[in-house]
Amino acid sequence: MDSLIIEATEDSPKITFDTVSNRFMISGESRPENAGKFYTPVINWIVKYEEVLYSRKQDTNDDSVLVFIFKLDYFNSTSAKYIMDVLLIIKKFVDQGYNINIEWHYDKRDDDMLDAGNEFSDTVDLKFDFIEY
Amino acid sequence: MTQVSTAFEVYKFMSEKNILIAFTGYFDHLVTTSLLKNIKNKLSVIQSATGIDKKVYNILVESIENISKYASSRNPHQNIAMLLLCKSDNHFTVITGNHILNNDIPALKEKLDKVASLSSAELKKMYREQMLSKRTHENSAGLGIIDIAIKSGNQIKYDFKQLTDQTSFYLFQTEINIQK
Repeated sequence: MDSLIIEATEDSPKITFDTVSNRFMISGESRPENAGKFYTPVINWIVKYEEVLYSRKQDTNDDSVLVFIFKLDYFNSTSAKYIMDVLLIIKKFVDQGYNINIEWHYDKRDDDMLDAGNEFSDTVDLKFDFIEY
Repeated sequence: MTQVSTAFEVYKFMSEKNILIAFTGYFDHLVTTSLLKNIKNKLSVIQSATGIDKKVYNILVESIENISKYASSRNPHQNIAMLLLCKSDNHFTVITGNHILNNDIPALKEKLDKVASLSSAELKKMYREQMLSKRTHENSAGLGIIDIAIKSGNQIKYDFKQLTDQTSFYLFQTEINIQK
């Protein structure tokens, strides 16, 4: 399955889901005019990627670590619901035994972004690595 | 010369009240994006170690999005709305104003009063519940107000000024303390 790369715009984040390095990053500012239109293909891609993970584990016993990276400057409350959807899928992967790390990057001046990460982490019951920049 | 003197009055008023941004007009996504770009530049000048510029920006975006969610018409070109950003020594104030149908006021008022009455812990609980609830138009609008309340330490106020039998002007204000 090909990597998913979507360039950032003034109101939507950059998506870099790299199937070679196993790093899956959402970065930038997220307040798209139509959040559903932006996030639905992203979410569908992750759901579909589960098949790849499954067959890779079955066929080659490859259990490489997948790193999901959230590095957001800002996200609006509508985007928050879609980020939650992404995390719920990741949670499913973790529950199925895939090897997954989640990194939550935040501007060291931005306590709200750190709080938001803690809130997501608690809500979906997943451990995040918090990384300030 | 009425126009020039009126303009000078507006200038004096804005200076005295420390109004950084005053905008009235149609808020569609394009206007919002260009306004926010301008505001981000202004805020980056006063960038501080506490990151208040980020907090103010967050609340501004959510407040502007609130305008379109509660506008009296779904067509932005039928709605003239207002945005004010003011700064005093102790706090920033974000105020939005927009036309709303009188019929929509009771439900909105109930939601705002509920949010305003909650503690920080209760707000976070409500935020979490809404986050996990089904995605509906009404719910996501509620999430925005809850988010503003959490980030501002619940310093929200509102008012409705009746304009006609059908419509009112809905004012929504948030204060953000400047920590020293």
